[in-house]
Amino acid sequence: MAILKKKNRPSGEIPTASMADIAFLLLVFFLVTTVFEEEKGLRIVLPERQEEIEVSQKNVLHLTVQPDGVVQVKRGESPQVQPVSSSQISSIWRQEFSRNENLIAAVKTHPEASYRFMIDVLDQLQAAGAERISLQQLEL
Amino acid sequence: MMRGGLERKSKASSEIPSSSLADMAFLLLIFFMVSTVFRKEQPRDAEFPEAEATQKLDEPRKDILHIWVERDGAIWINDQNTPMEAVAPIVNELYRESNQRLVPVLRADRDVPYRVMNSLQEQLQEAGTVRVTFYTNLEQRMARARR
Repeated sequence: MAILKKKNRPSGEIPTASMADIAFLLLVFFLVTTVFEEEKGLRIVLPERQEEIEVSQKNVLHLTVQPDGVVQVKRGESPQVQPVSSSQISSIWRQEFSRNENLIAAVKTHPEASYRFMIDVLDQLQAAGAERISLQQLEL
Repeated sequence: MMRGGLERKSKASSEIPSSSLADMAFLLLIFFMVSTVFRKEQPRDAEFPEAEATQKLDEPRKDILHIWVERDGAIWINDQNTPMEAVAPIVNELYRESNQRLVPVLRADRDVPYRVMNSLQEQLQEAGTVRVTFYTNLEQRMARARR
């Protein structure tokens, strides 16, 4: 008799067996959907204000970025100008740097040139290991 | 009846108790919810340039200042549209507040004319923050080969 009575009574509790599954489902959902924002980029140290260093022309590699993305390379004192595409710059830098360890890369960008052309040149220089880089705007 | 009861009592439980599983899962869930930091700034209209030499920054998040430059040359600092001349005083104040540890990250659109970036660099020099970073996306070698 007692057994029968127990069987007929409906369960008064919420089933807790699936609780863990629900919690893990939520956990996995948030783990998968979370996107961590990374801080990355190209570092550079700008010169201090009113800090101008005289550099001998023979230690400068002039890189002039034109509005169409073409880069004009001028080596130190030589008046010769060589137009190149930005992907060639790292090999040019390596070649010139092996000849002169005091070399400075002077990147002069045309004011109307896209920012990304300057970044392409800076990227090539940094990929080639250049540390002394000067960024300027081309004076027209 | 008697035999079965005795046997059941002496048997050690071979199952891992699952009644605390939900508590553990919720604990993990709450831990991740609490420790997640959401981005504070509004998304801006800027497509970043790509670079092979992209490096990860080691600076703590609180020492990083995002300076957004949109395609039309508009500058945004902390969700405020800032005119070019106002960049130096604002950055300088933040720089002093951070004990000279602030690193501005220039999140500029790839097609912004360079004169905007040049004026911005001059403003940052005036503010005294000479260590800057140009935000770039990592360029894959495959993408370069195709160009």
